[in-house]
Amino acid sequence: MKIISMIIIILSTGLFAQEKPHFVTQELQCSTCHTCEVPTKNNPCVRECIREYLVSVKHSAKEAPENILINRFEKIENIYQPVHFTHQLHAEMSHLAGGCQTCHHYNPPGRILTCIECHETGRKREDISKPDLKAAYHRQCIDCHRGWSHEINCVSCHAMNEGKPSNIDTKPMPKTVHPEIKTPERMVINTEYANGKIVTFNHKEHVDLFGLECQSCHSQESCIKCHDKNPDKLKSKMVHETHENCASCHDTDNNCSSCHAQKEKPGFDHGQRTGWQLNKLHSKLSCSSCHQKKGVFTGLKSKCSNCHDSWSSENFDHAITGLRLDEIHLENECADCHIDDNFTKPSCGNCHDDIEYPDFMPGTLTK
Amino acid sequence: MSILLPKPMKYKFFTPGVIVITIFALVGIAFVLGRFVFGIGAITNLDNQYPWGIWIGLDVALGVALAAGGFTTAALAHIFHKEEYETIVRPALLTALLGYTFAAASVSIDIGRWYYIWHALIYWNGNSALFEVGICVMMYLTVLYIEFLPIVTERFIGHVNLPGILSKLNNVIDKGLRILDRTLSKFMFVFIITGVVLSCLHQSSLGTLMIIAGDKMHPLWQTPILPLLYLVSAIGVGFPMVMFESVISSRAFRLKPETHILEKLSEMMPPLLGVFIIIRSVDILIREAYVYLAEFSSVSIMFSIELIVGFVLPLRLFMSKEVRKSPNMLFIASSLVIFGVFMNRFNTFITAYTPPYADYSYFPSIGEISVTLGFVALEVLLYRAFVMIFPVISVPTEEKSAKTKYAIRGILR
Amino acid sequence: MKNQSRRDFLKITTISATALVGASATKLFASGNPTSSIDPMGVLVDTTVCIGCRKCEWACKKAHNIDTKPIEDYDNRSAFENYRRPDHTSLTVVNEFRNPTAESKPYDVKVQCMHCNEPACVSACIVGAMTKQENGSVIWDTDKCIGCRFCMVACPFQIPTFEYHKALQPDITKCDFCFERTKEALLPACVEICPVEAVTYGKRSELLKLAKKRINLYPERYKEHILGEHEVGGTSWMYLAGMDFDKLKFPKLSTKAAPGVSEAIQHGIFSYFVPPASLFALLGGIMWLNKNKSKSEPDTE
Repeated sequence: MKIISMIIIILSTGLFAQEKPHFVTQELQCSTCHTCEVPTKNNPCVRECIREYLVSVKHSAKEAPENILINRFEKIENIYQPVHFTHQLHAEMSHLAGGCQTCHHYNPPGRILTCIECHETGRKREDISKPDLKAAYHRQCIDCHRGWSHEINCVSCHAMNEGKPSNIDTKPMPKTVHPEIKTPERMVINTEYANGKIVTFNHKEHVDLFGLECQSCHSQESCIKCHDKNPDKLKSKMVHETHENCASCHDTDNNCSSCHAQKEKPGFDHGQRTGWQLNKLHSKLSCSSCHQKKGVFTGLKSKCSNCHDSWSSENFDHAITGLRLDEIHLENECADCHIDDNFTKPSCGNCHDDIEYPDFMPGTLTK
Repeated sequence: MSILLPKPMKYKFFTPGVIVITIFALVGIAFVLGRFVFGIGAITNLDNQYPWGIWIGLDVALGVALAAGGFTTAALAHIFHKEEYETIVRPALLTALLGYTFAAASVSIDIGRWYYIWHALIYWNGNSALFEVGICVMMYLTVLYIEFLPIVTERFIGHVNLPGILSKLNNVIDKGLRILDRTLSKFMFVFIITGVVLSCLHQSSLGTLMIIAGDKMHPLWQTPILPLLYLVSAIGVGFPMVMFESVISSRAFRLKPETHILEKLSEMMPPLLGVFIIIRSVDILIREAYVYLAEFSSVSIMFSIELIVGFVLPLRLFMSKEVRKSPNMLFIASSLVIFGVFMNRFNTFITAYTPPYADYSYFPSIGEISVTLGFVALEVLLYRAFVMIFPVISVPTEEKSAKTKYAIRGILR
Repeated sequence: MKNQSRRDFLKITTISATALVGASATKLFASGNPTSSIDPMGVLVDTTVCIGCRKCEWACKKAHNIDTKPIEDYDNRSAFENYRRPDHTSLTVVNEFRNPTAESKPYDVKVQCMHCNEPACVSACIVGAMTKQENGSVIWDTDKCIGCRFCMVACPFQIPTFEYHKALQPDITKCDFCFERTKEALLPACVEICPVEAVTYGKRSELLKLAKKRINLYPERYKEHILGEHEVGGTSWMYLAGMDFDKLKFPKLSTKAAPGVSEAIQHGIFSYFVPPASLFALLGGIMWLNKNKSKSEPDTE
């Protein structure tokens, strides 16, 4: 009997140990969560879920629960009443501050974890490596709120519990939405740099033309950036601090004149700057489609074959240029008409003596 | 042939000087009453940063040090058997007795729960230097009273004269006193040795007290050899205190100063002071605390006054033969040593103690100073009263009937 | 002395000396603190987390039956205008310090007894009214205390305070690590109420691990110094900070246990009463020799 039960125990533990690995469907390295090579049930060697092993996933604020009543600690003898937390509003506000992970700092792919899944509800607990739930909530809230309002009053979020059994209004809060954040077109900044007092920052251009996401520059910006009720007088920032945002793309250490000038600078014009006017097709592309080497924008020749090296008369659909070639001209090689790689204005002189483009078209215009 | 024999002084108690002293004593007592009614905070400048003031630093630490004459003379006269010093034993004993009594009284008014002072006898903490001081002082005080008993018996044997009905007890009491006297004389040597041992212990432990204050003490005074310094300085101040008193009481009672004995005592002073100065200086050198002397601050000034005025200067004076022969000069030199030890105790307990959260310094309040002065005044008054009642001070006598006694007696000149 | 026979003298001296030695209770001078466990409980105070809400002050007063203003009043931050120390009206206080790197996030520092592993107050107390308990608490016994205030002189953190205004039964007051609460498996009041858990309660060894981990994870947030890890031989309460601790008004302390030198001297002088007994015997011997010498010489009388 004993032997049989022993065998059962050994078998079952073995089975458990070989259970199908979880998370296997998600794009996650085992080592993200486990410290050892082969985790078993008995020795899962799981890392504690803490900020350092952050895995981020993005969700839209729309998917988030709208309002949450935090009543997990509700007790009659509590001094304060539970808090209505306008979750969706906060999710929207977090847009510029790194999204969900601003608060949900342990954020593995898939569903976003709620606080209670890691943080224990009781303060008296075995594992003290993470703060308990109450502390986790408070830290998340107060961290922004005190920066913004310079207040840490309990009553700014909690109502006092006047010793009565809690008669908390459980109706959802009216939906409040953070007004759309208006982006400036361009900013003209006066600096103390003598050789170029004025820096023109084309915000719209950076977004539209260079395709930067808000977060690319506005990362980890809390509400305080706009909502500081009591902003300290404009603090004189160190030079490197002001350059910080630009430095990820611009060489702020050496190339001062690319931003600093004595007067306002016009927006970026590819033709003016490089002598190679972007046609309407190219102007839709992002910079990096052509300038593939990261951060290097020079060295491209104006030859099409630089990028379009596979194009030939056989596979190129000339119609996309706005001119569908007629059957006769379809037979030509590209260079027969585009002498010297001039693709803006063809030359007819190779075959015809008396005809000039655009009086005569080698086909039909598509628009 | 005249011999020196202790006799009660026959003199008027109240003189103008004594009346002034009495006023001081009364003011002191008034403040003591105030402390009992309104609490320590109302009378003193003590607070949570400065828990100890002059009531501990001066009344206790200095008071006990100045009473060291009691054990040094006892050791000299009885243990080393230098009979020529017998005449100074009794005054020194009385000084010690009063000094310790008032040290104990100061402790009692300084502690917050004075009615629990007996707790020290039943709850022991052997790690505590204060416990050691407390228990030794209590034991030594008992020893001092026992050592004083023969003087009481000597005064009353054959003189018990109770009035009225009580007169029937006269004989019984007289017998009792005689038995007590005999028993005491048989065992007195135990008490004398015990007294010396106890004194060595608590004189040094008074120094140990402030060691536990650690970094709160200025490095010029915070040293692990503080107990040794305290013991050496206590032994050093014992004889100057005896000389100081001898000169004063000879003035007060119009006696011829005992120049011969004072001179012999003063011959011992240079080595005693020298040893202290050497230990103190070497300690400062080894711990490299002298760096604090380079800066001009109240601390370095206090240290310099302590060592130079209080120890080096009297050392120089005592080394001179002219000084040793002149009672006036001896008085000055002795006063300087007393001042030196005063400074030393004041500095260790008050100047050196710099608590971490005080942006102010402690200075004793009028109440504290009044109580301290009042206790000194009371000691002076009681001393005067005691020497008038009991045979303490030796005067030249023609009497031959010197009692043969171990502890206290006169000698032939 | 003249009537004293040599035999008597020797006998009494020996008896007295033996009696003194015999009186030495071995327990009395046992060194160290036998009651404190190897791994006591403690608290890690993270001053970078504390928001200075002062709710701990309120909870502490409630737990110790000290008069207090209503809890809403503690939101008033004017209390930070002056640097405060704990006393009988408040066993713990929070002070605020400017954060030079982030104006909106000042450093708030809670002050209370550190509950040293080797407490100076316990060593100093004349009647043993201060004791170190097995769970780390250093507590004060009102039934023993005589109010001598030596604990206040001894404490390297200047924590014990005294009720100077009381003529009768003044108390020594200091944080007792909520000894009465922890006995009943409750958390210390301040730990329980803290909204952000700036104070973490746990085994001292685990708190140390936690503190080291935090420093490793956020080196830009913390100074690499756990106050109380080594100071004065280690303390049950420990601190993390983003600024040097002396700028947060902590005293600079060595790693040597506060009572070390003092106890070493005490134990040296009193090691089982041998030194005093030897001194006694030595003096007795000198006395006896001198006595005989003067006896053999022609009597002066």
